[in-house]
Amino acid sequence: MGNKNNETGGASKRTMKKALLYAAVIVFCVIVISPLVIVFSSSLRTPGNQTSPLNLFIEFSGASYAQAFSNMNYPMELLNSIMTTAGSVLCIVIFSTMAAYPIGRIKSKTAKFLYYFFISGLIIPSQMVIVPIAQTLNRLGIPNTRFTPMIMFITCSLPFSVFLFSGFMKGVPVEIEESAYMDGATLPRRFSTVVFPLLQPAIVSCVITQGLWIWNDYFYPMVFISKKAQYSLPVGMLQFLGDKENPAQWNVLFAACVLCALPLILVFLALQKQFVNGIAAGAVKG
Amino acid sequence: MAKTSKKGVKNYTSPVFTRRMYYFLIPALAFFLIFWIYPVLQLFYYSVTDFNGINYDFDFVGMKNYARVLSNGTLTNSMKNTLIYAVMTVCISNIIGLAVAMILNTKIKMKGLFRTCAYFPALFSAIVVGFIWSYVYMPGAGMIANLITMVGGDGAAFNPLGNYKTALFAIAMVEIWKGFGTTMIIYLAGLQTVDESLLEAASIDGCTQWQQIKWVKLPLISSTITINVILSVISGLKAFDYSFIMTNGGPGKSTKTLMFQVYETAFTDQKMGRASAFSVLAFAFIILITVLMLLYMNKKEVEL
Repeated sequence: MGNKNNETGGASKRTMKKALLYAAVIVFCVIVISPLVIVFSSSLRTPGNQTSPLNLFIEFSGASYAQAFSNMNYPMELLNSIMTTAGSVLCIVIFSTMAAYPIGRIKSKTAKFLYYFFISGLIIPSQMVIVPIAQTLNRLGIPNTRFTPMIMFITCSLPFSVFLFSGFMKGVPVEIEESAYMDGATLPRRFSTVVFPLLQPAIVSCVITQGLWIWNDYFYPMVFISKKAQYSLPVGMLQFLGDKENPAQWNVLFAACVLCALPLILVFLALQKQFVNGIAAGAVKG
Repeated sequence: MAKTSKKGVKNYTSPVFTRRMYYFLIPALAFFLIFWIYPVLQLFYYSVTDFNGINYDFDFVGMKNYARVLSNGTLTNSMKNTLIYAVMTVCISNIIGLAVAMILNTKIKMKGLFRTCAYFPALFSAIVVGFIWSYVYMPGAGMIANLITMVGGDGAAFNPLGNYKTALFAIAMVEIWKGFGTTMIIYLAGLQTVDESLLEAASIDGCTQWQQIKWVKLPLISSTITINVILSVISGLKAFDYSFIMTNGGPGKSTKTLMFQVYETAFTDQKMGRASAFSVLAFAFIILITVLMLLYMNKKEVEL
């Protein structure tokens, strides 16, 4: 802080304060992280090792991982997760930047109404509408495949994404577009070559926030997918539901948990800065 | 040219931004109307039928579903649980999130490491988090029970999920553990917009650190507080995951939230008509809470 305290004893008092602050933060972080450390340490044991998980890192073996890997059909689930997440996020970015274009640019009551119309979708919980949605899909003749949940991922992401992009659209200078118009650019061209590239920070934010929940969502895949080969990673975890209260299965269960979370952890560690900025930008600027 | 309506509101501003732009809405609007708004409207229709979710040969039953939902106590029970859950998660995750953000916003070393630690749980799927915390809460062999035994307590007696008085608080803690990191990151970004010179001026004027926080920082980040509270209220009212994964609504009815009750009525009991009536009432409740909160937050933000 900018507190320039030069009284006698002020310096040592400040060091004390600082030490206490560090202690508090470290203790807090340890409490937050400890379940994850224990889970990781247990996952490295052989499936039969049933000593208390609190004895950290007493054994290093890949046996639990091997078992979890084959129980989960990991490569298939990973591929399904990647395909649905990437496909959904791509569609979300395209659809919602397009929708935000007139909403953010045109100053009319219609545009304002549409803005609030989309945002209002935020408060509708998925569980509430899941049966009518299933019926609608049925009536439209859309079969239950690994791609069916994508429809709902896209739809559910629209309220937030349209909100995000409409907010950012105001930061894209109108003059640039006007000069593009003078140069004879058509509307689609103006959108794709002038406006869209300037929305890049918002696109990063959208990809990260929406990608995160879609990757981790188990609800829509659980309802729409019945074939095991079509499972994504989180819904594949449901098969372990019975193991969570059975200490004999913990090592394999925890290995499965780590395997399920691992891809996202790696992405996060590689793109930490983008994650932090993206999450904040979505909420602060919007 | 720009047309101006009677009230002086420009309907479209220039030849550059014409009504043709509305065509860009088509894909998003199509998805939104077909897969979100239309199903919501269908709920009203199903709510007056005895539809079971599978057989389309259903009858109209009038207001019977509503009467049933209101009289059998499931609605009031799950409203109460949802409110307690939402209030707990909103208050605690915002207080912790803001406090940690304020500490990390000072000149502290290893800021990045602490931030990563606090945010890390947000990366995990709710289902993985549910499994991990089932272990943490497990009586006897679980993490907390083990720690209690280590310091000489009775670890076998520790069973937060098995007691109807504590189960709801226990699953709310899980949500807070997973969610406060995101809240914190948003607060950090808000705090970084606070002008350092204002804080220096305040400290020269003799403000203590508490006074600086109360009179300078909090008012300046009031819009961040608003957005964080709104986001956490919305997700709190949707509470479903941990009731579904960890407690299955139990013990008794103690962790049945609105959305868990809807899911159970529709899928386990196969009473889609009743679930729809329940949803309509739950929806009214969610809208009411959201609107009240928005009005209150707007007022607060102006005051600050």
